[in-house]
Amino acid sequence: MEYVNPLTGFRVDGRRPNEMRQLKGEIGVVAKADGSALFEMGNTRVIAAVYGPREVQNKGQQVNSKEALVRCEYRMAEFSTGDRRRKPKGDRRSTEISLVIRQTMEASILTHLMPRSQIDIFVQVLQADGGTRSACINAATLALADAGIPMRDIVTSCSAGYLCSIPLLDLNYIEDSAGGPDVTVGILAKMDKVTLLQMDAKLPMDTFENVMELAIEGCKAIANYIREVLLENTKQLECQRG
Amino acid sequence: MVGLSEGEKHFIRGGISQDLRADGRRRLQFRAVSVETGVIPQANGSARVRLGATEVIASVKAELGKPSILHPDKGKVSIFVDCSPTAAPMFEGRGSEELSTELSVALQRCLLGGKSGAGAAIDLSSLIVVDGKVCWDLYIDGLVVSSDGNLLDALASAIKVALSDTGIPKVNVSLSAATEEEPEVDVSDEEFVQFDTSSVPVIVTLTKVGKDYIVDATPEEESQMSSAVSVSVNRHGKICGLTKRGGAGLDPSVIFDMISVAKHVSQQFLSLLDSEIASAEAAE
Repeated sequence: MEYVNPLTGFRVDGRRPNEMRQLKGEIGVVAKADGSALFEMGNTRVIAAVYGPREVQNKGQQVNSKEALVRCEYRMAEFSTGDRRRKPKGDRRSTEISLVIRQTMEASILTHLMPRSQIDIFVQVLQADGGTRSACINAATLALADAGIPMRDIVTSCSAGYLCSIPLLDLNYIEDSAGGPDVTVGILAKMDKVTLLQMDAKLPMDTFENVMELAIEGCKAIANYIREVLLENTKQLECQRG
Repeated sequence: MVGLSEGEKHFIRGGISQDLRADGRRRLQFRAVSVETGVIPQANGSARVRLGATEVIASVKAELGKPSILHPDKGKVSIFVDCSPTAAPMFEGRGSEELSTELSVALQRCLLGGKSGAGAAIDLSSLIVVDGKVCWDLYIDGLVVSSDGNLLDALASAIKVALSDTGIPKVNVSLSAATEEEPEVDVSDEEFVQFDTSSVPVIVTLTKVGKDYIVDATPEEESQMSSAVSVSVNRHGKICGLTKRGGAGLDPSVIFDMISVAKHVSQQFLSLLDSEIASAEAAE
């Protein structure tokens, strides 16, 4: 199958190779949570909710009492995928993604400021169309910011792939399941540091650099968008205060 | 769980007995309902319902399947509910299983009718494609995104709205009925059939606090309840299902009174929901 039209250079969903899907971020979607956000990348749509910092619920989980304990759970809604399949809760894929999100977010949270406390991040996938991992991290960033949790920097994530000898930004489900390499990158936007890097399949070294470069560009664009959303939200809050 | 001081408890109970609740509502008044349809594009029908700060999503997916041997002339409907941990940290991991199952079973009881499928919210025989061979399996999934009390009523109304949003693809069967082989079906992706959802009931949960009953209780009010009865009523004023959950025992006469109150309230709620559905469909 041709994932990039050789004549026009457009992808299956009409995007250019280095074009991202439409982004949408919304803050405060879950009223009861301390912080929450909805993040959309095209048809991928996730909700993140943050509870905390609060007292550690299960003392056994606390490893270092000088730092906050960060926990994360990733869950997919039954209706999020095209074909409906009941998966047992806590399958290996979800556990892995939970871990990835936790580690990525932990890198930016100033955990030493909140000793003996716990921060829970819950991400719920409403629609899955490729790049759920990235969307979850972006949603979690927004939710953490909404909860007012001190962070070093904004973490954003984006994926890139390599199909038909062309690096492609922000793969959708069809491109993701094409079997080509899929590079997911998470960066601390301002500090310009990589906190997450995952790739499956193989790729020559110099091509990998290009693909990763493209993914980092994507992350930066998302960081700009997230900053806009946060600014807009702050303005609204200011207006409400009067 | 909700942590309330003695003073707050007294305030909530006192307010209910004087017909003015903590958020300014009367005893039999619902919170503001907002309805959105078509929120899940992959599903055949979907809806998001907000009831105060409670937010639920329901999706209906239709798949071709085989009817059961016992009821060759009926399709199948199943309901599953999941409580997302985004709604409350206690739903993390397996923490939501108990509540999810309780809600799923209560919804099944109210919407799917008896074992034979008689009295179901949707006419199950309308789901049949070829008698005894092919039928539609409807999978109804509910997801609790945000929890602020009265989940069952919210889920039931979300399912009602999602069903009215549902279009089942038109199916052309091309094979003579005499042959024993699997019939060939051609699923149209342009033409859709809508259900008759006029008899889909809503659920009204009456929560008994002190001597009085309230509808649409918040978690704070739910913590003060002595017992709760969920009644599902359809437009014709018929009771489709009944659940009494937890709490103290009730005098049978009180239950009859609660049912008649629920019946009265449900008709108002139904017409409110109908106007919301109409405006949601107009907006889409």
